[in-house]
Amino acid sequence: MTEAENTIPLLIPCSSISTESNKTGSWRFLRPLYDEKTSPCSAACPAGEDIARIEMLTAQGMFKEAWETILRENPFPAVCGRICPHPCETVCNRGEFDEAIAIHIVERFLAETASRYDLKPALSRLTAKKEKIAVVGAGPAGIAAAYFLHQLGYYCDVFEAMPEPGGLLRWGIPLYRLPLPALRNEIAQIESHGVRIHTGQRISKKFLQDAKSHYNAVFMGCGHPRTVQIGIPGEGISAVENGLEFLKRLRHGESISLSGLSAVIGGGNTAIDVARSIVRLGGKASILYRRRRRDMPAFEEEIQMAIEEGVELRELVAPVKITEDGGQCMLTLQEMKISGEDNRGRTNILPDEGKTRELRVQRVFKATGAGPAEDWLNPAEKPGTSLALTNTLLVRPDKGPVLVFGGDLTNETKSVVQAVASGKQAAMAMDILFQDGFEAIVPKLQACLVGQGPSLSMEVYMGGDRRSRNSHIVSYAEINADHFQFQPRISQPRLLRGERLKSFEEIDLKISTNLAIREADRCFNCGICNQCDNCYMFCPDIAVIREKGNQERCIDYDYCKGCGLCVVECPRNAMTLKEEEL
Amino acid sequence: MKRVIEGSHAVAEAVRLAGVQVISAYPITPQTHIVEILSEYCAGGTMNARFLRVESEHSALAALIGAQSCGVRTFTATASQGLALMHELLHWTSGARLPIVMAEVNRALAPGWNIWTDQTDSLAQRDTGWIQMYCEDGQEVLDSMLQAYRLAEHVYLPVMVVLDAFYLSHTYESVDVPAQEEVDRFLPSYQPRFQVDTENPCAFGQLVPPGHYMKMRHDIAGAMEESLNFLNEIQEEFYRIFQRRYNPVEAICCDDAEIIFVTSGTVTSTCRLVLKSLREKKEKVGILKMKLFRPFPVVMVREAVSRAKKIAVIDRNFSFGASGIFAQEVRAALCNVREHPAVFGYIAGIGGLDVTAELLEEIYWKTKNTEFPEKESEWMGI
Repeated sequence: MTEAENTIPLLIPCSSISTESNKTGSWRFLRPLYDEKTSPCSAACPAGEDIARIEMLTAQGMFKEAWETILRENPFPAVCGRICPHPCETVCNRGEFDEAIAIHIVERFLAETASRYDLKPALSRLTAKKEKIAVVGAGPAGIAAAYFLHQLGYYCDVFEAMPEPGGLLRWGIPLYRLPLPALRNEIAQIESHGVRIHTGQRISKKFLQDAKSHYNAVFMGCGHPRTVQIGIPGEGISAVENGLEFLKRLRHGESISLSGLSAVIGGGNTAIDVARSIVRLGGKASILYRRRRRDMPAFEEEIQMAIEEGVELRELVAPVKITEDGGQCMLTLQEMKISGEDNRGRTNILPDEGKTRELRVQRVFKATGAGPAEDWLNPAEKPGTSLALTNTLLVRPDKGPVLVFGGDLTNETKSVVQAVASGKQAAMAMDILFQDGFEAIVPKLQACLVGQGPSLSMEVYMGGDRRSRNSHIVSYAEINADHFQFQPRISQPRLLRGERLKSFEEIDLKISTNLAIREADRCFNCGICNQCDNCYMFCPDIAVIREKGNQERCIDYDYCKGCGLCVVECPRNAMTLKEEEL
Repeated sequence: MKRVIEGSHAVAEAVRLAGVQVISAYPITPQTHIVEILSEYCAGGTMNARFLRVESEHSALAALIGAQSCGVRTFTATASQGLALMHELLHWTSGARLPIVMAEVNRALAPGWNIWTDQTDSLAQRDTGWIQMYCEDGQEVLDSMLQAYRLAEHVYLPVMVVLDAFYLSHTYESVDVPAQEEVDRFLPSYQPRFQVDTENPCAFGQLVPPGHYMKMRHDIAGAMEESLNFLNEIQEEFYRIFQRRYNPVEAICCDDAEIIFVTSGTVTSTCRLVLKSLREKKEKVGILKMKLFRPFPVVMVREAVSRAKKIAVIDRNFSFGASGIFAQEVRAALCNVREHPAVFGYIAGIGGLDVTAELLEEIYWKTKNTEFPEKESEWMGI
């Protein structure tokens, strides 16, 4: 018998009648929702960049869109991709799985890709406002303030004392960390949006008094270009130089040669920059710090690289005297000891009485902190009503225009991304002040926080899609790690140590598109939908609808019976299960 | 081609030759060797099949129910706790009339934890609607697997091919592994009478009223009966190609036997030696080897033992509160026969204990020297 003749009775339960009439949605008492949340990286980013989305777009090869997503919150991706201490990576949920995403490397890649293809970002600008604003200082804070004010519709003039914009980025950061073309390109890009920078114009006290007739507000972002005096004998001798001044001379293109040992006093990023520049100029550098390495305000990665390059670090020593000694310097160092911590967790130190030693060096560089160029620029000394925000200080003097102090003048952490944060906060605060009045500033800023803050989102402020984002910060426990596989983090390609010491060539090298995509693809995309379609695949009721050509997913509540599988299987917590309201 | 392979590999070779398209299984001793080699075949391209890794036996069979509904040939293997975990879906498979084939390696159920042979795991699934075949050696394993697909796809019922743990699964023997062309002649590709078809959408397995349900169950009963006939029919064809045949029961020297052993699995081989030695002593003894357990070949059993005085059923299993399961089935088959031999039930080799020739001989003399069974079950070697 052939199977075609098989007549064994075979009654089976089978129906070709549609089951659509059976609206299983009526069984539901729990409702799944697409509910995008906040990624920990974006909340930790002082500029509030939408990092989960940036990585998602990069992984999808949408580099322009990813770059524009950065630009909505930060005009400096090429700069921040290089020199930002990336607090985002410290809190990356993927770090609990294998290794954090190399967010800064991807950011730099996007900026470089945009530059290589000469991309023009499509960014929205609100309708023009009548108020005009002056910005003092074309450093990252001033430029960011002008950039965001321009987006909000304001006319801005940026005044810069130096012959070229960039502030500390231009004159204080060594080339091996931030090459000039990258900075110039980024600033030119910002200027092309319509930000006007007037260089070589130092602002006087009188300018502020006269500004009222031309400007409704002035943003003070003129930074801390002046090295603070240590206050020890011998500080003024010719072999002692200010660290910032030294870096500035280098960035002016002066050819400096050094030999022998130089001492660098301080523990901040300037001290590291000075020391690493010294070794590139043929000298040896010894950093003298009065606390310990772990207490240094400099970024750990920078300290590490300096030591790799042969910089010596002496902890728990404070110079107390400098004397000239036959064309050299004799430093008298007081040894310090630990005496507990202060109430902010910073190590307290005391001189270890009787313990001093001497150190003979060729040169001494002071990098013990910086202050404003002139005392009247100090924000504390202004009369009138003031409002202290997280990164700025807004002052309404009795006379003259509204002043908003930002950047290094007000930021506790002096970094480029904090400068951007303060420029953004200033722009928002001024806009609120002009549009809704002084009282509205705090509540309106509150509504634009990324997660719990203090970072602010300009996209949210301007009414973009991001405003629907839930402020809940996704934790690693909320990630369904079953859907991910271990994959190591990209390692930053770098110049070899020997090559580094020969010149001021940029140390960190470019990465390929492939590597950038692979790294971005490691991102969990915490809290946001990347169209992975797990919800669609796991839904037992075919109640997840994805329309062709539409990136959105939606749920057909006629048939969703609220089993919650989609929510559990969402790898990135972009969905929420809520009890049905009766 | 003759090869020296494990019983497990005999299963795997049959699965390869049958051109199975979807395999899903969860590892469990003593079954693991089967799917281990199959996974290699799938990964290496020897087989053009999807190997679905799952998190449990329940999911393994569920996956196959889905795959088989789409009209492909499928395979799984399990043992002991794994089979117990599949229980719900065993019913579903037969109810849905899906011709899935499974290799079941008989292993004792826990606790105490025991990985050795014991038939209780498969026999406890006797009411799930699966055809069950018990194998004696590696060759029979391979051949039964090929026949299982042919049979399953004719009657639309699932088949369990059962082999003893270690004695069969892990023992290397000479096995004739046939050529692909030979197998293709015996086992054509699967042409399902129903399947999921996206062009003609339909739903399977939905609610049915009692009348329909009863008719469906009746159809399964009918298919079970038909499977006995069909299995007999295909032996001739199988013999022509492979020069081997297997009947649902094998009656060995039963024509003049006064005492007949009823055996299954590898115990049969040992019993063949005992038979030889007893026959040399002029004892009138026979063996009834039970290959097929479901459907139970009632008529063949009645016929084979019709001339005997006593039957000694060897059960490597036990139904607590009743007796050995083969003994129960044999008694049930005979109870409506006016004159039938006395049925002695012996429980032996539980949890992998050796069933030796000496033990079987002891059973023979005990049966011979006892007029009538004093109890339902005699536990041997305890």
